[in-house]
Amino acid sequence: MTAASAPAAPRPAVARRGAGSAVLGSGRLLRLELRHNAMLWLLPVAFALFWYNGYREIMALPPMWNLRAMTLQNRLLLDLVIPVTGAAAWMGSREGRRGITDLVAGTARPRWSRQLATWAATTAWAEVGCLACVAVVYVMTARQVSWGGPLWWPAAVSAAGVPALTAIGFAAGAWFPGRFVTPLVTVVVFFGLAFGTQAASGDHSYWQISPLTAGAFDIGAAPGVASFYPYLPDLSIAQLMFTAGLTIAVLGALGISVARMRWLAALITVAGLAAAGTAVALAGTGRLDPHGMIVIPALHDAASDQPVRYTPACGHTPIPICVHPAYATFLPAVTSVVGPELTELAGLPGAPARISQVAEVYRQEPANGITILAGVRSGSTFILPDRVPGQPGVNSAQFASQVGLTLGLGLARDVILGGNGQATAQSPSQAELAVIAGSVGFTPRADDPAAQSLFDGRLLPVPGSPAALAGRRFAALPAAAKHAWLMQHLAALQAGRISLAQLP
Amino acid sequence: MTAVAVRLVCLHAASRRLPAAVALLALCAAGLRGTLYGHWDDYGALQLPLIFEAACAAIIAVTAGSPFGEPERATGRWLPYLRLGTAVTLTGLASGALAAAGTGMPLAGGFPDILRNVAGLTGIGLLCATVLGGPLAWTGPLAYLVLAVYGLYTDWHPPALSTPWIWPARPPHDVGGALCAAVVFAAGLAAITLRGARERPGGDGPG
Repeated sequence: MTAASAPAAPRPAVARRGAGSAVLGSGRLLRLELRHNAMLWLLPVAFALFWYNGYREIMALPPMWNLRAMTLQNRLLLDLVIPVTGAAAWMGSREGRRGITDLVAGTARPRWSRQLATWAATTAWAEVGCLACVAVVYVMTARQVSWGGPLWWPAAVSAAGVPALTAIGFAAGAWFPGRFVTPLVTVVVFFGLAFGTQAASGDHSYWQISPLTAGAFDIGAAPGVASFYPYLPDLSIAQLMFTAGLTIAVLGALGISVARMRWLAALITVAGLAAAGTAVALAGTGRLDPHGMIVIPALHDAASDQPVRYTPACGHTPIPICVHPAYATFLPAVTSVVGPELTELAGLPGAPARISQVAEVYRQEPANGITILAGVRSGSTFILPDRVPGQPGVNSAQFASQVGLTLGLGLARDVILGGNGQATAQSPSQAELAVIAGSVGFTPRADDPAAQSLFDGRLLPVPGSPAALAGRRFAALPAAAKHAWLMQHLAALQAGRISLAQLP
Repeated sequence: MTAVAVRLVCLHAASRRLPAAVALLALCAAGLRGTLYGHWDDYGALQLPLIFEAACAAIIAVTAGSPFGEPERATGRWLPYLRLGTAVTLTGLASGALAAAGTGMPLAGGFPDILRNVAGLTGIGLLCATVLGGPLAWTGPLAYLVLAVYGLYTDWHPPALSTPWIWPARPPHDVGGALCAAVVFAAGLAAITLRGARERPGGDGPG
């Protein structure tokens, strides 16, 4: 056998073993970093902050996936920013802080590689904290909701924001390893995140790229968003792209100082910046769609515009009230507000056989103003107030007042005036005003000037007027008596042949 | 004051990085001034000063750490007074600098708010320094910042957090909030004066 015919040396096996040992070594390094990581010690702080600031408020919201998931996105990252950025900056400054930069420079691994291991361990613990918070909220919500499944995009944006926070903190700590850097960079990042949306205006704002933004600024987490139509991931995709790009750019920039890998690091940085910049540009092309979500044309899937199929939840009133099943928890409150009125008006000419909730239509106004309208307006449809009990600053009395103002008053107007959803052009008679007032039993709250302004003699009688007094008299009757009287006299009432004195 | 005393104070100040801390406090004040020129909504206007107050408190707390450890404690009886003087001086400087930064600008709460918040947050930071050590003393004021920002948020979105222990969410002249901040500041001063910042033999903290 000659040297030429001798079998080749088993280089691939050596290479495999080398690659294997490198992976093994990296795993060992990561395990060491995981065991000695400051983020582990700051996890209780993160949990405490989230519990106090975010969790209590989120769980006080009505059990609806859209409300809770979108509020979670708005809160979680803000609660984590201090411990996560602080821990990352602390870990990043470790070598400089302890004066061991030269000592570890002699180890086999390049500095960038060591730094990435430390960053990865910090990010891993931070992600554990983030995902634990998400899991608790989602599990609790899953046990309470009446309809639907979890919205994953808001959770994904929060989870993707964590590596960006750790990358920024870590890089700042590595570049400026002083004792003041950790608190300063933490405050700066908190400031940037918390105040980053202050300059936002309208649906075309670049600032909605902030991972705290879960939808249009003046809507935020609203029950009408992503209930009747699917949650649009357009903005979430742009936010994911932004946070990933930012993370890659910062981590790449860490390696630029490494002579051997300078070009690679620069390339990674440029790629990350390009991704982040593209995401910001995409966010600037957003527009508010009629369903209350931000559409980004370049990322939009038209299939998402189809309404969600559902079986409505209906009450057992004489005129059944049907709501979207996600709103099922509010059905008793709605029927208790308008129940007597439904008993009174059921079966009358012009009264609907069933009243169904329909989707709101959102329209962007100049700046951050947004108008909310009923998608389909008829006597047999209604929209629920866009603010529901459990949301900050909204209580049951306010909700009931709004339901009375919209559904109750609209129904009485349509049946008594015979308009069937069309605003009557002619001015109603005083007797009609009295009967409407007596039917809805609507009492405006003192702090609601818009509701009080309805008592202007066009739809409801002026307070203290003879029509108001007659309305109070009519309201005192039992619902069955009112129903019987209306069955007999509605046509005459609409024809203007009933005077106030003839009202029971 | 003798030349020896002046030298002692200067050495103590240098060991605690006081020149850098004073420069950073000035930077915070300049930052507050700069941001007050911006247009903020109601949330922003109220929460903005708090962020700079917390940054100042974190800086003051971090200066509490000693680079010498045990040997310094054995050198004389003046160390507690130096620690007390450093903390009080920096707190006064921070309050004054932030108040000066807000002069002539729409600063929410005014000087009483600044004084109360800086003192209370510094107290938290000094307590953290005695428990966790100087390098990690920032965790207390900054974690409290998140709570306080939320407290201010609940002023618009009831139920408001009414406990005086979250004093930044209380009105500037609220006695309960001021008392709580004063108690925390006094406790922090007492702790840092008597015990000093915690020293960790194995390093400066986890990680």
